[in-house]
Amino acid sequence: MRCRILFVAIAAIAAAQFARADPPSVTAVLSNSEAVVGETVELQIKVTGPGDARPPEEISLDGLEIHATGTSRQFEIHNFNTNSSVTYNYTVLPLRAGRFTIPPQIVRAGGKLLRTPELILNVADSSGGSSGARPSRGRQSQPTRAGDLLFAELIVPKKVAYVGEIVPVQIRMGFDPRVRPRLIEPPEIAGQGFTAQKLQQSGQSSETINGRPYDVVTYKTAIAAARAGKFELGPVKAKAQVIIPRARSAPRSRSRSPFDLFDLDDPFSDPFFSNPFAQVGERREVEIKSEPVALEVKSLPTNAPPSFSGAIGNFVMTTDANPKSVQVGDPITVTSAISGRGNFDRVNPPLLEDDRGWHKYPPSSKFKQDDEVGISGTKTFETVLSPNEKKQTVPLLAFSYFDPAKEQYVTLRSDPIAIAVQGEAATTQNVAASQPASPSPAIAVAPQGTQKPQDILYQLTDRPATAESFTPLYTRPVFWTAQLVPFLALIGFAGWKIRRARIDNREARRISALQHEAAELMHKLRRNAASPREYYAEASRVVRVKTALASGGGGVDPNVVDAETAADTFKLNSDSRDQLRRLFEQSDEWQYSGAHNGPATISPENRREVLELIENLK
Amino acid sequence: MKIRASLIAFLFCALAIPSVLAQADVEFAKANEEFAQGHFKEAISGYEALIRAGQWSANVFYDLGNAYFRTGDFGRAILNYERALALQRHHPEATANLQIARDEAHALEIQPSWLERYLQFASVNQYTITAAVAFWIAVFCLAALIFTRRRSAARVTLLLVMLLVFAGATFATWQLERGSKGMALAIVIGKDVQARLATADTANSVLALPPGSEVKILSTRGDWTYAALPNSLRGWIPAKNAERVRL
Repeated sequence: MRCRILFVAIAAIAAAQFARADPPSVTAVLSNSEAVVGETVELQIKVTGPGDARPPEEISLDGLEIHATGTSRQFEIHNFNTNSSVTYNYTVLPLRAGRFTIPPQIVRAGGKLLRTPELILNVADSSGGSSGARPSRGRQSQPTRAGDLLFAELIVPKKVAYVGEIVPVQIRMGFDPRVRPRLIEPPEIAGQGFTAQKLQQSGQSSETINGRPYDVVTYKTAIAAARAGKFELGPVKAKAQVIIPRARSAPRSRSRSPFDLFDLDDPFSDPFFSNPFAQVGERREVEIKSEPVALEVKSLPTNAPPSFSGAIGNFVMTTDANPKSVQVGDPITVTSAISGRGNFDRVNPPLLEDDRGWHKYPPSSKFKQDDEVGISGTKTFETVLSPNEKKQTVPLLAFSYFDPAKEQYVTLRSDPIAIAVQGEAATTQNVAASQPASPSPAIAVAPQGTQKPQDILYQLTDRPATAESFTPLYTRPVFWTAQLVPFLALIGFAGWKIRRARIDNREARRISALQHEAAELMHKLRRNAASPREYYAEASRVVRVKTALASGGGGVDPNVVDAETAADTFKLNSDSRDQLRRLFEQSDEWQYSGAHNGPATISPENRREVLELIENLK
Repeated sequence: MKIRASLIAFLFCALAIPSVLAQADVEFAKANEEFAQGHFKEAISGYEALIRAGQWSANVFYDLGNAYFRTGDFGRAILNYERALALQRHHPEATANLQIARDEAHALEIQPSWLERYLQFASVNQYTITAAVAFWIAVFCLAALIFTRRRSAARVTLLLVMLLVFAGATFATWQLERGSKGMALAIVIGKDVQARLATADTANSVLALPPGSEVKILSTRGDWTYAALPNSLRGWIPAKNAERVRL
């Protein structure tokens, strides 16, 4: 039961894989893209994918005889991914020399029409000499084959160079795509007596070499010999991990791989590559090594001009100066650009042929390379010159290099650049230098005059009693301590103001209470409901309260106010003063002499008089 | 007991300070004498001993600058003139000799920005005092406005003006301190100094700095200093080849 479930699961997975199989595709390869007349070349058209395929039965091309020779079919399972392919083989027999293009062929597969890629076959005549485009490697090393799976080659375009000359070098490393290479050590050129620049990977392509497909990685660098003599450049060495089939112990009994057209004992004919369950492949570390290349290095001729600084190659020079109208002492920026191909690390600023009457500042330089390894480009120098006297032209610049093609030194000279220099040499002045076009940066420099420099002023012999300090005031503790003075003053001011406010508030409340009391008493006096005792007591109380209010914020207690004080406060005349006196006497009489002395009620006239008296107290 | 110890220490200091000052005066006079006799190296030693002892004054730095000038060390001469001017902005002798030394050395200067040029009519300390005074006036105005019922227009105006003055003086202080003559100003004292793109002697050169050139130190990494250079450039220079103006 368990086995049945397992089988069903595997079948389901396989079915799912079939269900999402890739659409059919077709490729076509020639076993060799170069051949001679009469030599057969194999053409394979491989159709990958499900379904039947119908290849072309006959391919007609003038100059080539192409015949179908058979069909092979492959079925692969890899990680539960099935893949089937059919390879249709043809022989191609060149009948004459020339460059032949096998046009795309139509293949019907899986209900679709597929087109093979266009193929090129270069056919030389039987006496030799290729008519094709493939470069001859006669001047280079031949690929070193490691089991026909990978190779490295060192391509040096020159066999003779000069000391210091930059020689471009190309390294090609090819891998059979099936070995799935992993580079663990990048290629390195062995050898002594030269310096090599950093290796740059410049490209990757697929090539067919001797009937085998290779993924070819190209690196570029440049070398420069440090001394004369005969050198052996290389070999180029690299290390990579590749997958190779397990070594066979038994004689070969398997079928040939479709890629092993010529029975070259292709290791990929191993069943491992068609059935990974049959055997186990190995990931192995292999060293890839090229053949060394001989290089003869010659010394430079001895008659080097004075402006030669070691530059070797082929260069041109352009110069410019800016500004062209200046005052004596003003800076002029002379820009010289050296372009070409060569060892730019030895390209130094051009020399001034005659710098008399000029002050020269150290030049700046920048390099813009035009290739990956920096052997071609433009190096630009900016030199600031300052005329010490009137001049009409910028001094001529000279740059020398050695041309390895001409095998001689070449000196480039700038054209005369006319300028206008005004004024006389000054003793001391500020001039903007180095970058005159820039408004903000300026440098104070003095022209290199021929006059005797000014002398400095005398010594000072007085010294302050206390030492001075560089420390800014705001970082000194004394400054922050001094801030305590206004701070404390602020605290005192605030405290005083708060206290004043509180005092004012208390007085206001007292006045308000007195006003309220006076109003209440006046209201009672007008109602005529009080007894004489109460009436005179309230009347005299109103007078006291009004007197206290009229005496201002002095804090006069109403209880201590008497008739004379009230009269004085309100500046009453004698009649009113007498009335007030009587009012206080009656009040005292009613208060202290008993309730039954005098009438029990107050006459309306008396009430009116009292009210009038009180209301007139203002 | 403690009070007695403090009193003794105070008395000791009070008695010792005049003695130290008198000693410094003697050393200063001796260094001046050496200079007058043409013994510039001995004069330099004397001035530098004073400076090491903390007896800093514009005149000591000025005289030291003169001594270095006489020995042909324009970088250190310019450094000490700059120090004299940092202590005393209006030091006409230092200003004049600084210009002569710069001309001799072809020293490069960092050009101040237009704002910095305008702000340089007062010193950092003057701006600091202005800011402090304006601040306290503004605070007292504010307190008066809070504690009095009557909002006087004059008082409000004064408050606003003082706040503006405070802000302006603070900004001026900040601007001058980080400007071309600020706290980061340093002078190249080495000869054949090249500012480079990286912290290596083999790195590409950015600018050749004659002795006495001004740089503004931005950061330091090991033996190298990253500095703002004249002409709005930046580069690395060996730390030993530049000294800060402010000690």
